[in-house]
Amino acid sequence: MRTTHLSPRWSAKCAPESEGQVKGRSLLVAGVSTGIILIAGIFFVALNLVMQQGARPAPGSPAPDFTLKLYPGYRAGLPEEIRLSDLRGNVVVINFWASWCVECHKEAQALENVHRAYMDRGVVVLGIDYLDTEAPALAYLKQYDVTYPNGIDLQQRIAKAYRITGVPETFFIDRDGIVREVVVAPLTEAQLRAKIEALIED
Amino acid sequence: MMKSSICACISLLLVTWLTAGWAQAQVPAPDEPTYRIAKQLNCPTCAGRNLADCPTETCAQWKAEIKAQLDAGKSAEEVLAYFQDRFGPTVLQEPPKSGITAPLWAAPVGAAVVFLAIAGLVMWRTAQRGAPSPASDGTDAHDPFVAALEREVRAGE
Repeated sequence: MRTTHLSPRWSAKCAPESEGQVKGRSLLVAGVSTGIILIAGIFFVALNLVMQQGARPAPGSPAPDFTLKLYPGYRAGLPEEIRLSDLRGNVVVINFWASWCVECHKEAQALENVHRAYMDRGVVVLGIDYLDTEAPALAYLKQYDVTYPNGIDLQQRIAKAYRITGVPETFFIDRDGIVREVVVAPLTEAQLRAKIEALIED
Repeated sequence: MMKSSICACISLLLVTWLTAGWAQAQVPAPDEPTYRIAKQLNCPTCAGRNLADCPTETCAQWKAEIKAQLDAGKSAEEVLAYFQDRFGPTVLQEPPKSGITAPLWAAPVGAAVVFLAIAGLVMWRTAQRGAPSPASDGTDAHDPFVAALEREVRAGE
């Protein structure tokens, strides 16, 4: 009887796969495919979230428009709900704050002082209360005898538009609605005055 | 040198553990309804931390707000709705299963379905390839691999 020897390439290919090998290969293919689909899905969701957030308005870029509902008693002659674009023609100092923010307490008096000093010179100081409940927020405003317009950032819409990373943060906006400077720290009265003067003289 | 480094690491771990325990002890024991609602909210300033267990000033204010609203006669659902309306859905421990986050909620189920479908398909195709053709003697005359194999076997005889 004659024995036929197959070349190694055929014998390797002809070896039947066991049931365990088939299952293993199937699970591997399925796992890898599912992983790719999952990663693609997560990437899609993350990309959408990033695109929704946008970028922080850099100096020289237009200030994102928003509406702000002002606290009763803290409207400074403005309507209950204001739009930033309605303040065009004024220098606007947008200050994000919260009553629980220790650093915000340090600049509260300075903001009120510059509001009183510049309110008749086309400067609007606008306080935006961030992640705050109403009672402590109103107590904070009363504590510092604040009179400049202040309101709550409902659903953090304004904070998201301005991409703030915490409080206090202050945006200086010129008469044309362009962001001129962003300060991510508490400001002294002297610093506030210097920055406002520069914008008035522009 | 090595011993002193190990001692320093152990001391640091011990101090961290004790400090964490002390900080935890500073969280005031809230009354039950306030605690249950706070458990469903996130601390607004500490990423991923539960409002109920967070000792920060912000969370103390929020818990006080929950208590004040409950004392005023609001239901738990109304209190949660207040927080969601005021601060957005991200304050909820379990955000609504809608909008852009919907795919994330559906992902585990979708992944399981896709996994089973692909595994089933691959197994079925493998079984189909391994099964002998009913119209032949066990070989497929149209398969170039089989034809080449047969040629080589004949050449060897």
